Amino acid sequence: MAHQAHAYHMVDPSPWPLTGAIAALLMTSGLAIWFHFHSTTLMTLGLILLLLTMYQWWRDIIREGTFQGHHTPPVQKGLRYGMILFITSEVFFFLGFFWAFYHSSLAPTPELGGCWPPTGITPLDPFEVPLLNTAVLLASGVTVTWAHHSIMEGERKQAIQSLALTILLGFYFTALQAMEYYEAPFTIADGVYGSTFFVATGFHGLHVIIGSTFLAVCLLRQIQYHFTSEHHFGFEAAAWYWHFVDVVWLFLYVSIYWWGS
Amino acid sequence: MYYKVSGVTGKLTGATAASAYSPQGLKPTVPSQAPPMIFAVPTKVVSETGSVAHYMGINKVPELQKIFQKSDGAPVHLKRGVMDKMLYRTTMGLTIGGTLYCLMALYIAAQPRKTQ
Repeated sequence: MAHQAHAYHMVDPSPWPLTGAIAALLMTSGLAIWFHFHSTTLMTLGLILLLLTMYQWWRDIIREGTFQGHHTPPVQKGLRYGMILFITSEVFFFLGFFWAFYHSSLAPTPELGGCWPPTGITPLDPFEVPLLNTAVLLASGVTVTWAHHSIMEGERKQAIQSLALTILLGFYFTALQAMEYYEAPFTIADGVYGSTFFVATGFHGLHVIIGSTFLAVCLLRQIQYHFTSEHHFGFEAAAWYWHFVDVVWLFLYVSIYWWGS
Repeated sequence: MYYKVSGVTGKLTGATAASAYSPQGLKPTVPSQAPPMIFAVPTKVVSETGSVAHYMGINKVPELQKIFQKSDGAPVHLKRGVMDKMLYRTTMGLTIGGTLYCLMALYIAAQPRKTQ
């Protein structure tokens, strides 16, 4: 075992940053090849490489933290800063789409009929499925907090059940949103209303899927006894991300679904 | 007028009809002290539960910690042996193959199209 006179983590050399970068190259050029030559091979290859990279990279982090003990308090502090900075960058990502929405909706052009929603657009009733979706995500925020307290108190069964319930609520939201997308009377091609609606809610839905996946990984880890009542940062990171997804939805609901209808 | 023995002075004193109809000492169903309130079952430490069936599998983490802390010089992404090596080789194969395919596709895409 290597001896070090500090509490920081000097990682083993790893091939995953390279494979991840190549995956990005393959996905982006693959996109261009798909657009111009109708072949999805390169893009699919990139996607497979991305999935392999994510699986092995995060598997290695779990090995380094849970099995090799490298995640000392200063290391964990760094991981916390990292997650907070990442979520902050995502906040700015969504801020852009909200900017686009408010730019178009606060001063609707004559081409739209000078009104918002634009002429010809029948917006979704905010008090039907969107309101249910709001309730579902708020409830999932409660269950994820319940899961956190269960982990901190060493209540294994409750932690597993509340975490599973959180994931189920996430799936329920995704299913409801998918149904709404199918049934909507307008499409992404319906002017700036369609663009802002589907791009903002679409990226949000993608983040719900990412968050649900993160929580599902945490559920598997909780079942396998990876988390202790004092040290469970992976779960905390997933819970922070989930709360962020919930808050973005609340802004979407109030701005686009409610005020924008 | 109804009478009762005062619980304070021990002497005869006035009482209401209600207390006369249920005199002191004849209310066995009402406990003198409130029962102890239990807000939650205290968390049991696993060692205290004895040989209880483990909920959803047993703890394999100590065993895995031994495997991953073996001083064999292997980097963490290859520490588990054959499975790790196979997955690494597949990934690296796709990386290198994919890069070559990508460069070739981009080279071809960069060629001028024949005018129709």
